[in-house]
Amino acid sequence: MNINTNLKEQNTYDAIVIGSGISGSWAAKELTEKGLKVLMLERGMNIEHIKDYESAMKAPWELEHAGKLTVEQKRTHPVQTRDYPYNEATEKWWVNDLECPYTEDKRFDWYRGFHVGGKSLMWGRQSYRFSDHNFEDNAKDGFGNDWPIRYKDLTKWYDYVEKFAGISGQVENWPLLPDGKFLPPMDLNCVEKSVKERLEKHYNRTRILTIGRTANLTVPHKGRGSCQYRNLCSRGCPFGAYFSTQSSTLPAAMATNRLTVRPYSIVNHIIYDKDTKKAKGVMVIDAETNETMEFYAKIVFVNGSTLGSTFILLNSTSEAHPEGMGNASGQLGHNLMDHHFRCGAEGTAEGFEDKYTYGRRANGIYIPRYQNVGNDKRDYLRGFGYQGGASRGLWHKEVAELAFGGDFKDTMSLPANSWSMGLGGFGEMLPYYENKVYIDHTKKDKWGQPVLAIDCEYKENEAKMREDMMNDAAEMLEASGIKNVKTYDNDCYPGMAIHEMGTARMGNDPKTSVLNKWNQMHEVNNVFVTDGSCMPSIACQNPSLTFMALTARACDYAVKELKKGNI
Amino acid sequence: MNRREALKSVAYLMGSAISATTMGVLFENFTLPEKEKNKVPFSATDEEVLAEFADIIIPTTASSPGAKAAGLGAFIPMIIRDCYPAKMQQIFASGMKDMQAKCLKDFNKDFMTMTIDERQKLMGELKDEAIATEKAPSFFLIARDLTILGYFSSEIGCTQAREYLPVPGKYDGNVEYTPGQKAWAT
Repeated sequence: MNINTNLKEQNTYDAIVIGSGISGSWAAKELTEKGLKVLMLERGMNIEHIKDYESAMKAPWELEHAGKLTVEQKRTHPVQTRDYPYNEATEKWWVNDLECPYTEDKRFDWYRGFHVGGKSLMWGRQSYRFSDHNFEDNAKDGFGNDWPIRYKDLTKWYDYVEKFAGISGQVENWPLLPDGKFLPPMDLNCVEKSVKERLEKHYNRTRILTIGRTANLTVPHKGRGSCQYRNLCSRGCPFGAYFSTQSSTLPAAMATNRLTVRPYSIVNHIIYDKDTKKAKGVMVIDAETNETMEFYAKIVFVNGSTLGSTFILLNSTSEAHPEGMGNASGQLGHNLMDHHFRCGAEGTAEGFEDKYTYGRRANGIYIPRYQNVGNDKRDYLRGFGYQGGASRGLWHKEVAELAFGGDFKDTMSLPANSWSMGLGGFGEMLPYYENKVYIDHTKKDKWGQPVLAIDCEYKENEAKMREDMMNDAAEMLEASGIKNVKTYDNDCYPGMAIHEMGTARMGNDPKTSVLNKWNQMHEVNNVFVTDGSCMPSIACQNPSLTFMALTARACDYAVKELKKGNI
Repeated sequence: MNRREALKSVAYLMGSAISATTMGVLFENFTLPEKEKNKVPFSATDEEVLAEFADIIIPTTASSPGAKAAGLGAFIPMIIRDCYPAKMQQIFASGMKDMQAKCLKDFNKDFMTMTIDERQKLMGELKDEAIATEKAPSFFLIARDLTILGYFSSEIGCTQAREYLPVPGKYDGNVEYTPGQKAWAT
């Protein structure tokens, strides 16, 4: 092969970051701010802050199909249409499934967005710290390997990322859900306040209800506007009021003049140099032209989303790494986890007919985990938290009664007669070695790459937990004065929570883990993986805040090691 | 695996998360040959009929103009063409013809020349029929669903029947509600 040395120089950076979502953009920010020249590679299109959020300011009547999907969209997005996030107003964020197929040994809903900003533009913004309970659970019950870090290792990094990102929330002193550096909390509504009061009294504050901790700004923060309570976050925020690559980390990284962003750059594999035993760069397929090219750097941060990153590592084979880069342990691709949810209870709140809401709060309530702690013992391991909330909606029984006419219309123009309140559980899934992904060479994607095969299922521990997720919710609602309480389980398959994690886990022992306690690959010390794939367990909290903290911490370590000449 | 088999496995994988009818709809959707459009045509007259039909479901009242004024005559066929799989399009189109035949039979005139009272009577019968068939997909049910969807997504529906706040700027979860106060449009 002929190598143009000028080109090689042009294509050489201090660091390459693969992926531009929540963790990738944090890596780009931290590494550039510490003086490194960084190339951030994104496989999809560019998205310019505000300008490219075309649907963000559209009124309901400006959406051609009233938010509904066309038959053609359903044809090209057979996976993305399995759940609600893909709709007319958000369609540009979600991948065309026909272009990037994967193999489902068992049903796994893989929701993906290929664009600068990744899922930072589409995320639910709920931001919770992990506690020592979470870091210790693996060691205590023996499922999965022990986390190589504890809460004290991450505390200052949680502080650091929260202060920059802007997380609103209420201090609660709840051991399983450590408090953070919060912006003022959003308000609970009148029904939620009533439920909180009755619930905490009934359970003598062994269970608590708090407002969701969310990456939505309740006050202006670092030049970004505060939340306008439109509840249209999923379209991209023209006020920059929630944390995203575009609103937050990308402008900070760009301000250093040391960042290059290259969209339409699919990383096919990381190039291994057998002489130095390091990664020397990445091979990229241009998504528009299908041309291949190489980029080189001293360190590589892999932030392509859990399964995206794992695919790249599995596909980075060499003589020294025949089963994928850094996979001597055989753990790469294994221990895939996702939260299980879509079950809980709901009912109606009476006595609030003279109350209504003003504004649309893109946040709900949170009940942190209280199971398998202290005297609370269950017949399964770990536990769950609840998200939910109360609202006075638009439902009227006349809809189902097939009513029509002037009275029907006038009724439909009013809010519902009563408030409703719901609690939906988010449960921890255990790490199981046999829940895995691997490369399926029998299929190719649009760019000629092999595809990922996914073989993952919930097991008995999750099934038992779901019973409690329904029944505990019903008991708490009833104890709080909610009427007509009904439980539900709408079925859940891995992938649906879009919290897939665990396929390149951290650990102290290179024999049983892929990454060390600094998210550094045991075997290839200039490769760092700081997205969801690094997680040895997933707790029951929404994970993105933890990815941010781990990323900032790993960047700090990587740059120090680089300066010491250790990398 | 060929296309049909692939689809069957998807339908199987969908499991009980999706109701039987919805799964049927999806299945039909995916078994359509690639190039086949299967679009049911709607004429200008059809749009007039649908506008009047929708206006019986959501008529003009003291508070606001009704479905016809909100453009439902064009909205309904557009959604049927763009968003409904072939089988549902056909159920809708043949049901619409049946409805018009029923007008001639029961009222001895076509739908457009019927009085409002007669149209309401017709609508009541279609409603009873839908209840009797346990809400199996029908012209009446689809047209009514789309009328509700389209009307409350329209500018008239959002800003006159309900009240629309594009940028609330704050959240208050404990404001007084006065009886008759309109719902916020979303």
